[in-house]
Amino acid sequence: MAIKRPQPELLHHIPLRFVRNRVAGHGRKSVDHQIPLIPFIDFLIVLVIFLLMSFSASGELVAQQPTITMPAAANTAQIEISPIVAVDDRVITLDGTRVADTQTLGATAQVDRIEPLITGLEAEKRKWETIHPSEPFAGQVIVQADRNIDFRVVKKVMFSAAAAGYGNVSFAVNQAEK
Amino acid sequence: MASIETGGGGSGKKAVNQEIPLIPFIDLLLCCVMFLLATAVWNQLAAMNANQQVPGQASTEDAPPEDEKVKLILQVRNAGYVLGSSAGESIDIKKRVVSNEREFDVDELKAKLAQWKQAWDKREDLIVAPEDGVRYEDVIVAMDVASAAGFTALSMADGAAFGG
Repeated sequence: MAIKRPQPELLHHIPLRFVRNRVAGHGRKSVDHQIPLIPFIDFLIVLVIFLLMSFSASGELVAQQPTITMPAAANTAQIEISPIVAVDDRVITLDGTRVADTQTLGATAQVDRIEPLITGLEAEKRKWETIHPSEPFAGQVIVQADRNIDFRVVKKVMFSAAAAGYGNVSFAVNQAEK
Repeated sequence: MASIETGGGGSGKKAVNQEIPLIPFIDLLLCCVMFLLATAVWNQLAAMNANQQVPGQASTEDAPPEDEKVKLILQVRNAGYVLGSSAGESIDIKKRVVSNEREFDVDELKAKLAQWKQAWDKREDLIVAPEDGVRYEDVIVAMDVASAAGFTALSMADGAAFGG
């Protein structure tokens, strides 16, 4: 593709040199330039291929939270859409809504029910059953916990999830190489 | 604009030179780049699945084979791993000392689980029973090692229920 200097378009077709010279600027050096498009297209194709390699059809189901450093694991499964219970060193949230304090739960050994979590999960379950009346309920919940959390806290979250009918737990992890 | 020139075209014949329209092609590529950038997922997140096991719970399947009645249990204790079964087996894998810190002996666990898998080659189920006070990451590592050894149907149970 060329960039052409704006110039008079008339009289170009006249096959006389002196007319052409007069029209084209009296033999001065041309300022027309060629933009190299082929390397640009090569660059775009490489970019498209790179982005296609990192493309995920399922999208981002679980967002990385700044307060949570997840553990890494190699033998993993794909994350499926489910309610997300996030556990960091301060609070426990269900889909972004705070349901309990981590410190309070970690202080006692007995397995306590987290009532706001159970209520929230039961509401999610009812919503799911309304939307999918003919499908069996999978009862899956994603637990996204910080790697340094005491498992006692996670156990209480799992116990409360089971009480709400969510018996299958997916622990969100960072994918490590095998 | 790129073009294909075949030369000739004189003597009154119709010219066969062609202009390749690169601008629409660049537009298409730019659209692709923008779409892929908008939908790109940069963090590689995955999941480790487990169901919740209640100790002593009856199986939902009718009459399981004899060897499947034996429960295989991996306890993650503060002192180390314990591989056990409801048949009475118990293998203790203590923590090892690495640069003045006590760490879980993951290599030993890998070796023992591989031996177990040979002994129970038809079994894929394993109950992981972490004790209170164990870090969440150590439990995930244990589950990861168990999955790598071939125990892909993992269940979670309370470590205290197995004498933890």
